[in-house]
Amino acid sequence: MRVTFERSGGFAGLMLTTSLDTATLPPSEANQLRQFVQAANFFQLPTEMSSASQPDRFQYDIAIDDGKRHHAVRVGESSVPESLRPLIDWCMEKVRGG
Amino acid sequence: MANRHQKHRHQNRCTRLTHHVCPMCCILPPYMSDQIILNGDATQKEWALRTVRASERFRGRREAVGMVNFSSAIAGEKRRTIFDAETGTDLPGKLVRGEGDPPTGDISVDEAYDGSGITYDFFNDIFERNSIDGYGLRLDSTVHFDRKYDNAFWNGSQMVYGDGDGELFNRFTISIDIIGHELTHGVTQYEAGLVYRGQPGALNESMSDVFGSLIKQYSLKQPADEADWLIGAGLLTDKISGVALRSMKAPGTAYNDKVLGKDPQPADMKSIYTGTADNEGVHINSGIPNRAFYLAASEIGGNAWEKAGKIWYVALTERLRSRANFRRAANATIAIAGELYGIDGDEQKAVRNAWKTVGVIA
Repeated sequence: MRVTFERSGGFAGLMLTTSLDTATLPPSEANQLRQFVQAANFFQLPTEMSSASQPDRFQYDIAIDDGKRHHAVRVGESSVPESLRPLIDWCMEKVRGG
Repeated sequence: MANRHQKHRHQNRCTRLTHHVCPMCCILPPYMSDQIILNGDATQKEWALRTVRASERFRGRREAVGMVNFSSAIAGEKRRTIFDAETGTDLPGKLVRGEGDPPTGDISVDEAYDGSGITYDFFNDIFERNSIDGYGLRLDSTVHFDRKYDNAFWNGSQMVYGDGDGELFNRFTISIDIIGHELTHGVTQYEAGLVYRGQPGALNESMSDVFGSLIKQYSLKQPADEADWLIGAGLLTDKISGVALRSMKAPGTAYNDKVLGKDPQPADMKSIYTGTADNEGVHINSGIPNRAFYLAASEIGGNAWEKAGKIWYVALTERLRSRANFRRAANATIAIAGELYGIDGDEQKAVRNAWKTVGVIA
């Protein structure tokens, strides 16, 4: 499973991106990633969940390919579903080098 | 122009009351609150205000007063309220400092209080604007939002500041232009209402940077040629190689760091960003109108808030509509410069030259 993650916007307007692949992650982390994706019901999420009305909020672009399916989601910070939050937090840890 | 301005304000206010009576429903019947606000005498308005304040304290919620403004009752006064989210995400959080209260010793609380005060004074002194909405809207700020939150934002009715992660970012109250930036989003919301996407969104961002920078310059009494024209100076930790988040003078040069990457702002239309990130580049392409403002203000000379600031303020409050693009902003500011300071005068030439230099007009 391959994941590309991008956070843009915010007051700072930084673009932070990372690409993750379960084939190259340590097995425990790969399992964790699969669990977050499943818990988020990612492949059923709408492609666009916007919060353009709130200035300086973050925008997240997440694309996942599991070999059989490919799905991309764009979501504004204030519209992030609770189920998706752990995946975003985890990706941000990876972006920060965690 | 003054009459037109007043009329515009009045219409704006009536519209707002129609749209935003709901938050009041649970306290006063909407028809009553409308009548008190529009027709009540000073005592009645103050009573309505006290009632709502008391309810708000009781309920611990800001919705009670947030969307409706009682400020005509006490025109020309600033009212600041600072809340502490205590690293949670519920807004507004715990009330920690009200107007006139002494400093708390919490630097974020006190910076938010002082910064929103300077911003209020700037709009009031320079443009005779009574707060964000023109009607004395209470300035609410929440600090210590979330954990290690690398951001500040305007949620439609209040400012919200994170503490930063300490690695990349310091606290977001650290720089007066950030506070001015967030409050100006409120002004834009009540005035031009620039949609937060693409070029109108980049103009929305640029207005926040322009007035954020002017508020800093005004507080330091700096003329255009002494200002640093930086947005977010002091926000990046000393682990990051960069001076700020954005440079209005030289977009694209604020930072170049192995973790943050390079400042992505274009300095002219040749390098405009056309991707989909950041609501189609609102924080990226703002570099173009930002630089146009810097160039115009520098060519005019003196204090940037006096002439260039006035031209941009009139554009924001009276000329630009929600879907305005860069070209419309250029044409509006050029026209306003001519009206205020003379057709083909130095000011109008400076504004025209500025938009030409950044490639928005030929």
